[in-house]
Amino acid sequence: MAFIELKNVTFTYPNTSSPALDKLSLKVNKGQFVILFGPSGCGKSTLLRLLKNNIQPHGKLSGEIYMNNQLLIDEDATEREIGFVFQDPENQVVADDVLHELVFGMENIGLTANEMRNRLAEMVHFMGFQALLNRKTHELSGGQKQQVNLASVLLMQPNVLLLDEPTAQLDPVSSRDFLSMLVRLNEEFGMTIIMAEHRLEEIIPIADKIVMMEKGSIAIEGSPRKALHHIWCHGEKAYIPSIPSFYMRSLKETGHTQIPLTVKEGRTWLQEHKIPKVNNELASISVDSKEIIKVKNVYYQYDKKEAAILRDMNFSLKKGELYALLGGNGSGKTTFLKLLSGIYKPQQGSITLHNKKMKSWKRQDLVQRIGYLPQNPKLFFLQDTLEKEVRQTIEQWNVSKKAADAILYSLGIYHLCEKHPYDLSGGELQKGALACLLLRKPEVLLLDEPTKGLDPVSKEKLASILINLTKEGITIFMTSHDVEFVAKYATRCGMMFDGTISSEDFPGKFFHGNFFYTTMIQRLFRGLSNELVTEEEAVRAWNQKE
Amino acid sequence: MIQRFDQLHPFVSFFYYFGAIVLLMLLQHPISLSFAFLIIVSIHIAYDKCKSLRQWVPFIFITGLFILLLNPIFNERGRHVVVEILGHRVTLEALVYGGMTGLTIMGIIALFVSYNEVMTPNKLLFLFSKIMPQFAVLLMLTLRFIPLMKRRLDDISTIQQSKGITVVEGPWKNKVKNGLMYVQVLLTYSLEEAIQTADSMKSREYGKHKRSSYEYFRFRSMDVFAIILLCSFLVISIVGRMNGHVYLNVYPVMDSMYMTSLDMTFLLLFCLYLAFPILVQVGGYIRWHLLN
Repeated sequence: MAFIELKNVTFTYPNTSSPALDKLSLKVNKGQFVILFGPSGCGKSTLLRLLKNNIQPHGKLSGEIYMNNQLLIDEDATEREIGFVFQDPENQVVADDVLHELVFGMENIGLTANEMRNRLAEMVHFMGFQALLNRKTHELSGGQKQQVNLASVLLMQPNVLLLDEPTAQLDPVSSRDFLSMLVRLNEEFGMTIIMAEHRLEEIIPIADKIVMMEKGSIAIEGSPRKALHHIWCHGEKAYIPSIPSFYMRSLKETGHTQIPLTVKEGRTWLQEHKIPKVNNELASISVDSKEIIKVKNVYYQYDKKEAAILRDMNFSLKKGELYALLGGNGSGKTTFLKLLSGIYKPQQGSITLHNKKMKSWKRQDLVQRIGYLPQNPKLFFLQDTLEKEVRQTIEQWNVSKKAADAILYSLGIYHLCEKHPYDLSGGELQKGALACLLLRKPEVLLLDEPTKGLDPVSKEKLASILINLTKEGITIFMTSHDVEFVAKYATRCGMMFDGTISSEDFPGKFFHGNFFYTTMIQRLFRGLSNELVTEEEAVRAWNQKE
Repeated sequence: MIQRFDQLHPFVSFFYYFGAIVLLMLLQHPISLSFAFLIIVSIHIAYDKCKSLRQWVPFIFITGLFILLLNPIFNERGRHVVVEILGHRVTLEALVYGGMTGLTIMGIIALFVSYNEVMTPNKLLFLFSKIMPQFAVLLMLTLRFIPLMKRRLDDISTIQQSKGITVVEGPWKNKVKNGLMYVQVLLTYSLEEAIQTADSMKSREYGKHKRSSYEYFRFRSMDVFAIILLCSFLVISIVGRMNGHVYLNVYPVMDSMYMTSLDMTFLLLFCLYLAFPILVQVGGYIRWHLLN
């Protein structure tokens, strides 16, 4: 019998009509790595929480959940077997000190000091935490925090690990580190792992089973290749990572046994077919060369004692662009964004908007022309419903109610007006904030990591919104870690390094020389046809071959 | 590694500071208090070359001077009149008494500055978790929460500034209104996020069993030795004080400042007690050089 088994589980939250989980049945064997995915609100989190006794949500539950052939109802015996890691790295932290955080769980279950010391020593070695041990938790990066959270849970020695979108808030590099840790746990220790996750690219090769959920029930489940093929035929194609997607698009009708999941498998497959060296015309999109914002020799530092975060920065933003700034954590992307928005003032150098110095603009005029969408849109809202927030913006900027409604409609969030901002999903929240920004008809939009934590479908929607906005003449500047997104939609990208933008070009040119910082498709075609960066281009090249 | 006072067990440090304050308040003699103040300053020099004390210097001296002057102004008692100003008698007793109180307060402030440096929140937490485990968790959460709230408020103010809602410009009334709005958002946001913290604590079985506490610090033989030494110095000094040594009677009749040899012995013990952190460090230094 399966290790964890759900039989006809139906769960309804209080005061809602439709169930969050609807007659859901699922089997997970011991040692399996299972990935749950699906649009936000499909019941992934509810399912995971139901499996962990002491954080079960309130509501009406019917059906049976077995674990190790035992019914999972207020059973203390099964409780310690399950560890849970949540989405937000920051909010799970209890202590201000890494060491305290790590031992927190062990203290709660009343272990002796000696036992704790042993387990801790082991774990610190396994995770390589020696350097972090005496740091303050708030000094850690998001990725490090999430690893500390994982370690704190692992120290309680669970057999099953449940993770609710653990990498949604992390940049690609730290999320890869985090996932590789999970792979080790699964492969070297046979730990059963059930994880909700959007980004399938990295984990699909190592998953035993992927489960696509839709409206509270399981739409598609099975081994990765089988399930991908199924999704390709019947489901939402946005979820399929680019390499398998490219494979299925180019071969049209195929079985699922050959689908390449990794770059390595993809390259083996490509070698069998001769791809002609396509000289893909590097489409240089002509932009109105009128400069809106110009940055000249800007220096900025937070603290006298620290090194300057921006050094001799030069940059210009042209009208109608969708500029994407890439770069590692702490490279100063967000700082630069805040300088552009006029919140921070450069200590040296100048920033001009329409050839007039930022300093000499009146604040009101500056705010009207430049809209800034922060990484965490929750802090954007001052009012307790979306409607009130919109009304406040209307009053502040003298916009007609009609125009406001039109914007809300076009973003598809009109029906959410009555809701509290914190009850919205990440994508909805972002659109809400975007609506308020668009009300003041800005010329420039500054977006800080707009794709963070969005599922593939919401990401595509965001892209179409952004493209429409550029068509309307709004210039967009965004920071991002999402290489695939940038390669597909940006008109120009820059790389932030060492306090300045070190390279800058059109996406095609920008990515084709890169080795690590590039798209999956580019990695697939490296050496074969260097100019191919996005899936679309690859498919076009394939069709030319025929 | 050179042995330092702050590497001793937190209980030893705590005990030292506790005893030092008790002695400072009991042994009221101008000579002992002057010595005490000098020793405490040297502790700072040995610890971090007075880096932390430096910003307190004006406060310490102003307070000391204030008390030294205030006492003779309000207090006319005493037999030895030093000077008479506008019919107000300034007596030697009042000056001495004021001086002693001033020195005590200066010493205690300087001692607290050092306490703050040595007794990090971590050590305090450790001490508390032995006695009150639940309270220790509360303290830990608070320690994390205060800087967290500050960072969040900074975030809110930058984001709202970019929306044109500021507390730095505009009419006074608007500034207050916006400021209150910031705080409201800060509170709702923090409460909202705290639910997740609660979940994470619950999933790690907080509050289900009797809590144990991790031993961040171990009681070593050095600590035992230190505690015995400190304890005996403290007890002997207190016994001496009860027999009237190292104490200057000011009222009703002021004693002579002269110290007998027995007084001197007790004074020496008191000084040794206070100078304990320096002794530990000097001892460590000597041992280091002998070993290398």
